[in-house]
Amino acid sequence: MNDAIEVTDLSYRIGSSTILEDLSFHVPYGEFIGIFGPNGGGKTTLLKLLLGFIKPSSGSIHILGSYPSAARTTIGYVPQIARFDRKFPISVLEVVSMGLLRELNRFGTLNHQDKHRAHEALVQVGIEDLGTKPFAALSGGQAQRVLLARALVSNPKILLLDEPTASVDPKAESAIHDLLMTLKGQVTMLMVTHDLQTIMKDVDRLLFIQRNASLMNKDQVCGHFALGLYHSPLQGKLDVSR
Amino acid sequence: MSLGEILSHPLLLPALLAAIAASIAGGIMGSYIVAKRIVFLSGSISHAVLGGMGFFLWLKRHFHLEWASPLFGALIAALLSALALGWIRFRYKEREDTLIAALWSTGMSIGVIFIALTPGYNVELTNFLFGNILWATPRDVAILIGFDILLITLTRLYHKQFLAICFDEEQALMQGLNVKKLYMFLLCMIAVSIVLLIQVVGAILVVALLAIPPAIAAIFSSRLSKIMILAVFIGIGISFAGISASYRLNWPPGATIALIAAIVYLGSLPYQRHSTT
Repeated sequence: MNDAIEVTDLSYRIGSSTILEDLSFHVPYGEFIGIFGPNGGGKTTLLKLLLGFIKPSSGSIHILGSYPSAARTTIGYVPQIARFDRKFPISVLEVVSMGLLRELNRFGTLNHQDKHRAHEALVQVGIEDLGTKPFAALSGGQAQRVLLARALVSNPKILLLDEPTASVDPKAESAIHDLLMTLKGQVTMLMVTHDLQTIMKDVDRLLFIQRNASLMNKDQVCGHFALGLYHSPLQGKLDVSR
Repeated sequence: MSLGEILSHPLLLPALLAAIAASIAGGIMGSYIVAKRIVFLSGSISHAVLGGMGFFLWLKRHFHLEWASPLFGALIAALLSALALGWIRFRYKEREDTLIAALWSTGMSIGVIFIALTPGYNVELTNFLFGNILWATPRDVAILIGFDILLITLTRLYHKQFLAICFDEEQALMQGLNVKKLYMFLLCMIAVSIVLLIQVVGAILVVALLAIPPAIAAIFSSRLSKIMILAVFIGIGISFAGISASYRLNWPPGATIALIAAIVYLGSLPYQRHSTT
């Protein structure tokens, strides 16, 4: 089995409105996919379906051969930093440790080895000196890297990222991209982004979501898309399955 | 009034012990409430308990059922409210605030109706509404201390899970936690705390003792575990000041404690910008 993610005839509806319709695509293990499309096109909904937070109206999703809810142990998820209460009283190390909640012992604590893993995850994202800092005191870029460390601490096979560079400065954005490049090939990555120009050089392929899905090679992407001018027909609306 | 005078006073010593025990429960559970931003929801539970109190008081007086104590009724109403609010949270999230308000007023309406139907003067109910810590008995203090021990044990065991569901429910779900059950469990612990705190400051003012000490503590610390400890001591200090002031001024103790809490909170606000350590 080479596919990390297999989506077949997937549709998602809320009441009478269709958010996603008949999506079918496969992502081989180790590939880095950039997900793009207009606002409200269904990108975040697709991530939530892949994570098993919501159930498809029809069709199926398999993550490493399992249903999404059963495959969560293999997935690391990096949400948008804007979604968080930035005044929440919690330290950086506590946030990262949340990626290891499965390892809690019966007394509700982590062992020494797991605490070390949390520290190593901070080293991996380059903010090991911030472990004891309050999450509230971090910049947007630092906070986003903390969420990345939280996703990486459990050594996931698949990494889902929802606009991880949306509210960070260019320096932090570059650092996050560099970090993702170190994971390329080892971890299957799907990253929602609006900044198509920046990620074009990093990703293997692109998934355009606007109710339907089109999986494209980089040379099939129209230059207009990088400017946010989405149109149809898409160049090369082919190669959908692989 | 000196500490020696209080410790030798037959009325004030149990009151002070009850205040300390209540501050422990309030400081711990209040910290979750403030961090999770569910103060309004807690207010709804504390007011909805009036329905249970009124109904049980009516049962007690009308049918002479001695077991039907208002405290027991309050506990049942608080737990039912907590479970209902937890269910609303996951089922009707988009209308949550309206439904919280509906539960708040429904509980109080039921209480008011049964109080009106209950014969006699309801001094018990007045104590539950406005609190009367000066009437705390050694039994009340023992119950509060027993609950504190249980609460500290459960918090020690489940703090990381509670922290996770307060900070990021999706991540908690990713980690295999049963978010719905944990949230319901947390709400039930809050509900029981509310009932016990009602004996100190009363149903109407209980939110003050739950929310204000952790809110003050959050100004000076940015870690939930530290906020809890700080909130307990702030709660004890405020309760002690409130009891002393009410004794001297002959003011109602619950209202005096709540008023002092609000004054201390207002006085702490200018320190807010130094809150990142």
